[in-house]
Amino acid sequence: MRKTNALAVIATFVVCFAFWLLLTWSVSVQELIAGAVVSLAAALFSARFFIHEKAFWFANPAKLFTGLFYWVFVFPGELIKANLHMAKLVLGGCKNLKPGIVKIPSKLQSDYGRAALANSITLTPGTITMEITEEEGQPWYYVHWIEAESDGEEAGEAIKGKMETWIRRFWEK
Amino acid sequence: MLMWLKILSDVLIACGAFFALVGVIGILRMPDAFCRMQASTCVATLGVIGVALGGLIHAIFVMGSASAAVKIAVICLLILVTNPVGSHAIAKGAYKAGIRPETPMETDDLGRDSE
Repeated sequence: MRKTNALAVIATFVVCFAFWLLLTWSVSVQELIAGAVVSLAAALFSARFFIHEKAFWFANPAKLFTGLFYWVFVFPGELIKANLHMAKLVLGGCKNLKPGIVKIPSKLQSDYGRAALANSITLTPGTITMEITEEEGQPWYYVHWIEAESDGEEAGEAIKGKMETWIRRFWEK
Repeated sequence: MLMWLKILSDVLIACGAFFALVGVIGILRMPDAFCRMQASTCVATLGVIGVALGGLIHAIFVMGSASAAVKIAVICLLILVTNPVGSHAIAKGAYKAGIRPETPMETDDLGRDSE
């Protein structure tokens, strides 16, 4: 099992404590102390599952801004497009569906990036990530796609759209 | 100004409700388990985002309560973070348990590679 290191605990503690502050929304000393104790306990137990690579990669304003831009503008854009398409399909009577599982390549190297792309694909209506395998250092996603019109690279372009480039900018150099 | 914000929040909540309705109709109409899960994603994405944004505007400008606004934002965030994990697990579990659509899928790379 992976060892717990101090930086990972601190990073997890910061995230947990921020969530505590947001949820309680008070700055009384009692609440702050209780929150600190609980977050520290949670961080000690979960840091080794939570942080796998560099602990403080998010403490970089340019990266944070890129991530924020992705989650606030780029991704919701894709989401709205896919939702409208799904609405058209459903209200049109679910005809001309071609469900299938396609295998698409990706270039992401870090665990965070791969997980983020898999989650982004699953959150988009019309595509669900079923499995990830790694062949020759390159991840391949098995994606259930409701309109499987193509395969391989071409399907990858259609499914990933702009998402992969933005995820690479945020999680990788 | 306040009236327009109220109208905006109502419109956003109506949009969210519309996409939730689409998702539910999709669940009933789609032919097999995997396609039904695809339709249900509509509820968890734009359905939730629409209602949460409407509620956020209502909480900030009509109720004037920052803590309610933050809680709505956190709820929306947590649903968006946890939903894909669940959908992925259910879809993979259904596939591993041997559930297949009645008309075979045209491309099934996962079945081909795991043979």
